Amino acid sequence: METILFWLCGALMVLGGVMTVTQRSAVISAVWLIFAFVCAAGIFAILDAPFVAIMQVLVYVGAIMVLFLFVIMMLQGPVLDNEKRRLLKLPLWPAVAIPPVAVLVLVGGWIRRTGTRDFGGTVPEGFGQPAAVAELLLGRYLLAFELVSIVLLVAIVGALAIGKEARKLPWK
Amino acid sequence: MEVTLTHYLVLATLLFLTGMTGFVVRRNAIVMLMCVELMLCAVNIVFVAFSRLHGDGGGHVFVLMNFAVAAAEAAIGLAILVEIFRRRRTVDVDDLKALME
Repeated sequence: METILFWLCGALMVLGGVMTVTQRSAVISAVWLIFAFVCAAGIFAILDAPFVAIMQVLVYVGAIMVLFLFVIMMLQGPVLDNEKRRLLKLPLWPAVAIPPVAVLVLVGGWIRRTGTRDFGGTVPEGFGQPAAVAELLLGRYLLAFELVSIVLLVAIVGALAIGKEARKLPWK
Repeated sequence: MEVTLTHYLVLATLLFLTGMTGFVVRRNAIVMLMCVELMLCAVNIVFVAFSRLHGDGGGHVFVLMNFAVAAAEAAIGLAILVEIFRRRRTVDVDDLKALME
């Protein structure tokens, strides 16, 4: 069962990623990316992380991608990218292709040498449930949690400062 | 064939490389930002897979941190894009090279 779900979610997620990159319209790219994120939530669910899976749908699909679609709507730019200038100039393509191919070759060699690694053992009781994650978030990782809240605060202030005209800002 | 840790790592690698290639190849700044989100998502899969390997929830916590970073990045990036579009009427990165010339 886990095997079938993994191959299903994994294949669909890679498909979603490739379609995101190859589509001409930014809106269709965004919809394919949403599809890929929903598949990622499935992957998290298979990996005994139900809370992370739910947050993936809520935060990524529900908030971030809606923000993207909203901005695409607001910009009212051309619906399709210019076909001639949509992609990088052709002479630069080998330089783009070398790093991914090199990484794939390295990963393939690594797997051939060391073999696959199993997960082994079972997970503790309540692993990945909201209660377990909350206990870590507000216990062992409290400092990181507080720091991330500062990151979000700075992001809010920064977005406000960029979006507003300079003379209308409260500290001017 | 049983699904092992390696399968998840290879899946994450493929997604990361897709996002990376897309970021470099596409010229539409909004799509480039979406490719960054795809790369962050690939990283999340690695976090969760290793969390499952060690039976330790720390990876889940850092996935949540990663969500916050992704949200901040999207908010700032899109705010900058809206401002650029307001001034230059384009989000094509080939048109935005005032500093280069």
